[in-house]
Amino acid sequence: MNVKKQNIDDLVLLTIVDKDANLTKSENFKEIVFKEIESGTRKLIISFEHVEYLDSSFLGALVAILKNLVPKNGRLILIELDNDIRNLFELTRLDKIFELKNSLETAIEDFK
Amino acid sequence: MNMFPITINLDIPNDPEKIYEYTKNVLASILEHIALDLGYQRRIKLILIELITNSIKHSNEANTSIQLLIDQPHLSIQKIEKGLKIAFSASSPQLPFEDVESILNISFSESNRHNIQPLGEYKFKFLKPDPEEKPDMEQMPEHFGLYIITLASDSFIYQYDPELRENTYIVHLNF
Repeated sequence: MNVKKQNIDDLVLLTIVDKDANLTKSENFKEIVFKEIESGTRKLIISFEHVEYLDSSFLGALVAILKNLVPKNGRLILIELDNDIRNLFELTRLDKIFELKNSLETAIEDFK
Repeated sequence: MNMFPITINLDIPNDPEKIYEYTKNVLASILEHIALDLGYQRRIKLILIELITNSIKHSNEANTSIQLLIDQPHLSIQKIEKGLKIAFSASSPQLPFEDVESILNISFSESNRHNIQPLGEYKFKFLKPDPEEKPDMEQMPEHFGLYIITLASDSFIYQYDPELRENTYIVHLNF
């Protein structure tokens, strides 16, 4: 899975570079983020700017990441989800569990 | 002028990277026959993605087929898989059901639970969760495939034919 990492002060921004967030990538993505959390990251932003579709396996990976991060007093914000992906979060009511923001600027502001 | 019902038989892609393009093409074929708003288009794409992803994960795609039946104002998507019947975790009731009157809580794993309504010994309907129920992160499942199909459809039914050894997943949408 192609993921670009960027440190912004004490935040880590992970941008998914692939356009398909699917079952072939979900385990690998989970491992990448778990390692990031193990290394001490607690303020995490994941950008879906390039993602065209996200399947149930990847949604499961995101839930596992949140379950890992929150007990460690961490916080995750998902940004730049297109309308189809945002609709999937609303359908599954995961929009009540995850923090979804439109832009990186809004997410950074929210972390302050 | 379209003559309904229209049946479309689909070949299933075996490469997960091709699923999204495939669903977009199938949707385009449906839209040649009926006009649908964006909400229904999204629901159809989600259902197809999850039916196909489920097949790639759990079965040999050579034994799987999908058929669309457009009969305005209805669309049904039927996936047929040859093989053993669906099996739940050990603590769940199994097919054939003895009690076909009550709603059952079944699970495939600790994080993959569903309420179902038996419709026969070898047939059941996935039930939608209570919309008033507040989501709880601790209880949140990590397997969403069947859950997404249940939520995106107007009805989602499973049935098994023990003689033909055939699993059929039937999804209905009412426009």
